[in-house]
Amino acid sequence: MSSTMSFKQVTVSALGLLLVSGALASPVFADGTLTVSSPQDPGSWDPVDTFLINWASVGTNLFDGLTYRGPDMKLVPALATSWDVLDDGTRIRFTLREGVTFHDGEPFNAEAVKFTFDRLLGEEGAKGPQQSNYTAIESVEVIDDNTVDFHLKAPDPVLLTKLAGYGAMIVPPQYIEEHGEEYFNTHPVGTGPFQFVSYEPKVSIKLKAYDGFWGDGPKLSELDYRFISEPSTAVAELQSGGVDVVIPPTIPIAMIPTIEDDDNLDLVTTSGPTVYALRFNTAEGITADERVRKALIMAVDRDAIVNEILGGQAQVIASFQGERSFGFDPDMEPLPYAPDKAKQLLEEAGITPGAQVQIDIRGNDATFAEVTQAVSAYLSMVGITASIHPVETNTLLNDIIPQGKTGAMFQQSWGGWTFDFDNTAYAMYHSGQKWNPYDSDPKMDELLESQRSLTDPAERERILQEIAQYAADRALEMPLYSLNAIYGVNKRVKHFEPAPDNRMRLNEVEVE
Amino acid sequence: MIGFIVKRFAQAVFVVIAVSLIVAVAIRMTGDPALMIAQGAANITEADLDRIREGLGLNQPFLVQYLNSLRGLVTWDLGNSFVGGTPVNLLVDKALPATLSLAFASMFVSIVVSIPLGIRAAVARGRGSDQLIRIFSLLGLSFPNFWLATMLVLLFSITLKWLPPSGMSGFASFIMPAVTMGVILTATNVRLVRTTMLDTLNSQYIMVARAKGLSERKVLYKHALRNCAIPLITYFGLQFGGLLGGIVVIERVFNWPGMGTLAFDAVAARDYPVLQSVIMILALLIVGINLLVDIAYGIVDPRIRTK
Repeated sequence: MSSTMSFKQVTVSALGLLLVSGALASPVFADGTLTVSSPQDPGSWDPVDTFLINWASVGTNLFDGLTYRGPDMKLVPALATSWDVLDDGTRIRFTLREGVTFHDGEPFNAEAVKFTFDRLLGEEGAKGPQQSNYTAIESVEVIDDNTVDFHLKAPDPVLLTKLAGYGAMIVPPQYIEEHGEEYFNTHPVGTGPFQFVSYEPKVSIKLKAYDGFWGDGPKLSELDYRFISEPSTAVAELQSGGVDVVIPPTIPIAMIPTIEDDDNLDLVTTSGPTVYALRFNTAEGITADERVRKALIMAVDRDAIVNEILGGQAQVIASFQGERSFGFDPDMEPLPYAPDKAKQLLEEAGITPGAQVQIDIRGNDATFAEVTQAVSAYLSMVGITASIHPVETNTLLNDIIPQGKTGAMFQQSWGGWTFDFDNTAYAMYHSGQKWNPYDSDPKMDELLESQRSLTDPAERERILQEIAQYAADRALEMPLYSLNAIYGVNKRVKHFEPAPDNRMRLNEVEVE
Repeated sequence: MIGFIVKRFAQAVFVVIAVSLIVAVAIRMTGDPALMIAQGAANITEADLDRIREGLGLNQPFLVQYLNSLRGLVTWDLGNSFVGGTPVNLLVDKALPATLSLAFASMFVSIVVSIPLGIRAAVARGRGSDQLIRIFSLLGLSFPNFWLATMLVLLFSITLKWLPPSGMSGFASFIMPAVTMGVILTATNVRLVRTTMLDTLNSQYIMVARAKGLSERKVLYKHALRNCAIPLITYFGLQFGGLLGGIVVIERVFNWPGMGTLAFDAVAARDYPVLQSVIMILALLIVGINLLVDIAYGIVDPRIRTK
């Protein structure tokens, strides 16, 4: 056997070395695929069909609105580059961005804007819940290819923010007219940084980068979403590398140590808008007395609950809104934890130790059930015996609460997705609202109505803060906490910014 | 014989119609789908909700809605989901094969394990291996299957990284769900095989076969098992129907895109078209299987026909 290699052997081994080195030297930060776990499939990708936040985690990457609001809560131009509020707030003129195309190639222009809003306010929008949010708009007028006028029935101070919301996302006229509404639901086309590839109902939706995007192009090549509703399954997928990101509200507090202990994973959190409180029955029972309500609030150590039960992943609130909400007053203090004062007030109100209260909570919220047990323990320390009564969520929300059949307290939780206290406060405190079966307060109604059409933001904010203070003075509820938005992220994901409302635009994200 | 078949068929039709009526009435008592669709909306008014209900067809009288759903079942046009308007046919076309394939895989696992074990237990009656097998059977019956599922995922997906933790994505993804479901089935089936085999092994012709000098293996598998086949197949067939119903928990833990998941989500969302369709299809399957088993039994055993 010759000790030197033949020409053929040399060539083959050289080629082999070349291939191997090529593979090893392949770029580490090239395009990649990000897989996201979402807890719910909204069933339709049409922006006017739903309010579910799990639409937004995908929809924000497919569509754009005239304005955009990112995780920093600032409203910036998107498909509109500038706007003027005219005629005392009843007309807004938008200058549109030029050179923008939809994923199917058709141009974005004033016609597309008009089509979008005629559709939203017309028959198609009537089938869904988004239309009710935009009823301030009378009509949209095309002035020229890059200019539109919005004619409003009455000034709406929140309209510009709403234009960043789902229902106002701009949709492609030609595509919808050609393919029809049902096709559009399952084959969405927009102007966003990612475009649609495929959708398997209840299983997954796949997107890929759109190179014709008007803004900063995406650094990922593919973006896949898998629908996993069971929390432990989603976390198992995260741990085994099947998904890279798990979005809220999937991860329960109890699973946080699992993620923190895993060397491949990061826990990324930000303060969120979801708020929790225990609302009082102000019509019957011992809670009809304001002193009793204040006593019950002072009996509970809310800081301890946040630190011990929620692992610090929440913030104590003084009014029923999170810190990013418009109307939030950072100087407003909640009633202190003062069990002695509580006992004193209860005695004044003539409540004997051993008095019973029933707390109604949602059946499927394990975390809040634990919180309620802690509340119940605190109440027992001031002589109140609380029984906890879990009820199926829909029955609680649509039957028991609106008809005023609850116990002394019930779970009041709110998404707060508009980040504007007006929304929450009106639903919670105005007479006749579903969430307010026991109380009717003309002064509160007047306050709520007075700020709705004000265009001066400073004045609106002042009134909203007054509403929050008034609700606290009357002790309508025991405000507990706002929950952080908790994301589980694989360390291979770079530049991931947690969004408090699931609206994650992922064009900056890279993967290793 | 014909009379027997007609009678059984008529009973089956009656059951199916009764189920459809009960389902249609029951789900309408549980809350307003329009409220579910509108949740999260800021200023929804009663007029808005009514508009949504109109679009869903809920303002029509109950009988009209019910007859439409029956007609849809017959023409196989199952309507549109209340959640996003997805055509229910599309959802069921994917979900039904997913659930059926998982059910078959689970039955396969259970049969492959329970037959040899059951035979062994019968042959070793009263002795060591029989006791052992019966203990394992009891353990299998006592395990909550969702706990077993989570433990399997912890071991095989997270620690060893051999199998995918969830979803339906090829052969490997069938293993854990089928084994989890299979454990419970096996626990019951082992005892069943054991009992049927014991009965058979005591009969005369087995004694003859042994006396003839046939190998034990031939005696057991070629002769005895064949005799057990009819009751075993009957029981497995009926078990399949029950399996379809119980598979919801497994589907949820493993994120299996089957009928159980569809039903679970539809209940939470008050999604009438999906819920009605899923329940009716499963009812048809179960009633159909029972009918076939009844007829087969009637053919094989003439005494049944005279009832």
